[in-house]
Amino acid sequence: MSLNVFLSSIRNNPWVTPVTVMALVLGALLAVSLKTQQSIRSTSLPSNRFSGLAAAYRDQQEQLKMANEEISKLRERTTQYENEMASASEKTKLLNEALQEAKFLAGLTEVEGPGVEVVLQDSKKRPPANSPIDIENYIIHDSDLQRVVNELHAAGAEAVAINGQRIIANTAIRCVGPTVQVNGIALSSPYVISAIGDPDTLVSALNLPQGVLTDIQAIDPNMVKVVKKDKIRIPAYTGSLVFRYAKPVGITASNAGKEEEKSAR
Amino acid sequence: MNWLPVIALLLGFFIFYFVPLVLPSDYAPYLSLATLSGLDSILGGIRAGIEGKFHVDVFVSGFIFNTLLAALLAYLGDQIGVDLFLAAVVTLGGRMFLNLSLIRRYYLTQWNLSRQRDAERT
Repeated sequence: MSLNVFLSSIRNNPWVTPVTVMALVLGALLAVSLKTQQSIRSTSLPSNRFSGLAAAYRDQQEQLKMANEEISKLRERTTQYENEMASASEKTKLLNEALQEAKFLAGLTEVEGPGVEVVLQDSKKRPPANSPIDIENYIIHDSDLQRVVNELHAAGAEAVAINGQRIIANTAIRCVGPTVQVNGIALSSPYVISAIGDPDTLVSALNLPQGVLTDIQAIDPNMVKVVKKDKIRIPAYTGSLVFRYAKPVGITASNAGKEEEKSAR
Repeated sequence: MNWLPVIALLLGFFIFYFVPLVLPSDYAPYLSLATLSGLDSILGGIRAGIEGKFHVDVFVSGFIFNTLLAALLAYLGDQIGVDLFLAAVVTLGGRMFLNLSLIRRYYLTQWNLSRQRDAERT
């Protein structure tokens, strides 16, 4: 019955057969086209996962901060125990003094003293239209922070921190997306670089002609602020201190190295 | 009404949907445009058929030629930095709407006529 309907339609309308054949081809084209588009969509990260991932990232950062606070508390307690144990004899007292000195130099203790505070922040201005200056120049980059920290060290800064992240011997300052990571912690503008040292020397080092701040100030003077301080507190380093590959060289040093690693944990 | 082309379309779609054939994503825009052009040709063919002006040679050559031409045009546009792609989409889109509306009107008229005939009969 239904077949008869088809047959009569073919007989009455000569166009049905060719259109049907070509519709088959079109269906194939549609299918391949659709699948190709689907495969394009599935290879790029679906945008509906961004918000979830961003929340997870923020969560992780929060947890990292809390863990770091706990580390610094535990390290303080370790120092207390070390001091208590040291009172036993003259020998242990001397040993402890050397230990505390080493920890102080390594950046594992909170320190205080005169110095400068350098605030670097992204410019609120935008380059004028048709300006040859790239918008990138209006943003503070990891390289800017590196150069300022380097200059401060060269001018005799004894302790430096960026937004509370202590710079130690193996601290890395690097750009990750829109943020700068210091000690693996993501920081963003404004960046406050605190440094302990002779304030006058540090300030004049920063203000050298064609120095580290010249280029930034040329774009927008508001991007840089340098303030001398009578008293700055710089927190201790709170990141990981486990060395897996480097081993101390020397006879007595191997024991000392183990001791240091234990206390650092 | 003639359902054969629609059935063939679905058949072709499902057969090739389950054939593991995926084109490299570089060719995706050209394939999409070729598909669009094919759809336009089919609708044009149906319109010509119901108007009684259908020619097999014109239809088949038009389908094949237009499909290839659309893809080629888009490719050429990409090469010389002109969005010929858009021109094809606008032209094909406009024509498809026109053809669809003519087909719709034809079948509506037929339906109304058959209803009138039924009414007269009873």
